[in-house]
Amino acid sequence: MRSFRVLLLHELRSTWLSWTTWATWALFLSLLGIIHWYAILACSRTPMPWTPTEAVFRWFPLPLLCILPLLTMRSLAEERRAGTLGALLTTPASALAVVTAKFTSVWLTWVIFWISFAIFPAVAAQALGASTDPRILDGVTLGGGIAFIALSGLLHVSIGMLCGSRTRSPGLAALMTFICLLGLTVSGGLLDALPSDGWEWLGWLKEPADHLRTVGHLEDFASGIIDSQPVVLYLTGCALCLGLTVLAIETAD
Amino acid sequence: MADNVTQPELALEANRLTKRYGALTAIEDITFKVGPGEIVGFLGPNGAGKSTTLRILAGRLLATSGRATIWGESVALEPAKAKQHLAYMPENNPLPEDLRIREYLELRARLKGVDEDQVELRVDQSMHDCDLQGRAGMLIAHLSKGFRQRVGIADALLAEPKIILLDEPTIGLDPHQILGIRDLLRSLRGKMAVLISSHILAEVEQVCDRVIILNRGRIVAQGRTDELRRDLLPSRGHRVVAACTLAELERLTRAMDTQSTCREVRMVGDGWCEFRITLSPDSPARDQLLSSLVSAGLRVREVAEEQAGLEDIFLAATRRDNREVRT
Repeated sequence: MRSFRVLLLHELRSTWLSWTTWATWALFLSLLGIIHWYAILACSRTPMPWTPTEAVFRWFPLPLLCILPLLTMRSLAEERRAGTLGALLTTPASALAVVTAKFTSVWLTWVIFWISFAIFPAVAAQALGASTDPRILDGVTLGGGIAFIALSGLLHVSIGMLCGSRTRSPGLAALMTFICLLGLTVSGGLLDALPSDGWEWLGWLKEPADHLRTVGHLEDFASGIIDSQPVVLYLTGCALCLGLTVLAIETAD
Repeated sequence: MADNVTQPELALEANRLTKRYGALTAIEDITFKVGPGEIVGFLGPNGAGKSTTLRILAGRLLATSGRATIWGESVALEPAKAKQHLAYMPENNPLPEDLRIREYLELRARLKGVDEDQVELRVDQSMHDCDLQGRAGMLIAHLSKGFRQRVGIADALLAEPKIILLDEPTIGLDPHQILGIRDLLRSLRGKMAVLISSHILAEVEQVCDRVIILNRGRIVAQGRTDELRRDLLPSRGHRVVAACTLAELERLTRAMDTQSTCREVRMVGDGWCEFRITLSPDSPARDQLLSSLVSAGLRVREVAEEQAGLEDIFLAATRRDNREVRT
């Protein structure tokens, strides 16, 4: 436990002292700021069935695919390239402590990024005045959405860790993470969109597709609907990926 | 730092370690022991299997078969316990570029289980031992190769382990730095067991109590250098400078030892010649060579027994192994 705590503090410190983290955060906030701004503009012209915050969360796959691989790519692949991961494992710290500390650091950073998004609705509400539209702040959607991102982030970050453990190239790790997350995010929607006529033989895919509809899960959470299925999916997926990462690290050269 | 109340007889034991990568055998049947406080040299040409063996002992590589124990703990079955007694500095000594020396050593001390109130003290002591005090705040990325090696050794000393494994510790160092590291290693004798992998024979000869010689993944010789000298190079030569002919000298030495050989090396000048005489291993003439030559009426300026160095021992051991492989 001491190794985990020491490594987590070291990882958090390294992450937040690195200019790349701040650049990635700036990119993240720019991306969400633009989406939020256009959503407010759209709502101001025509009444929409969604709030600006809901609109941002519907675009959730975009930062997931563009930003998260940038956060996960350095933690294991970079250390494997430099050889410092092997040196770390010559101490009494176990591979499990190393992997979970790095995972927790990236996950916390990802969650902090999303919490920082709350600044936009807050600023918009302040600037426009609450009398304009009380839904601009939309605290319930904001809280539910961030809670979902924290939950799903367990699986998403662990996928990034697993990809990083398989290569010494941070670039390749980011690409592998991007492909895996893309597959996970869009596969549910794609399978769901299959035409039922003439595709009966693919009917068995409907159920897994229902489990994998990430954006649907986010909308449920943002509406206050908490289903146990996605909770189990993300928690077990995370445990599986982290377990495989530990095995990969223990057997890596 | 965990500490066993009872000290085991052996600091480190490798028992029939074998590592195969498919059809390629990196090391085979490697068996040796290192006692507490002993400094042992691990010698071998490039690709002999030194680093593979050290990585297995450090728990960074699983052996295909065999057993390694560190301070009585199995490296494969109890890696965490074994690593508490061990420090390992790998050959290329990878270090995080973005940390300062003190930050890095503090992190390593905490990971190695040094008590929180002792961390600063241990880091200061290790930096002092490795002459790093003036550079505590420097970024590792800005350090020269020599200073990076020192940081690696300071890291190895941090938690006062029972055993230190050093893979080519002086590679890339200048002569002053090499002397400093040698002195440091000598100062560890009796305090911790040290296994030094190197292909620099002079370094091992000057520092180590014992040597283990590897060739083609197998141990071809091990023991104290004087034992190995006796075993591998039994026919020691004598350098003789005398004013005589080769035939005269040969006649005299044959009278003392029928199996002796004699050859002229060079003319020294003014009638003096340098010869090399090789006597049989158990010849009584060894101790009486000078007196015998003088009493026979020869004018002798010098008689010196040639001392085989570690380089000769190493070459003899690897040559013998290569011959055995060929036959």
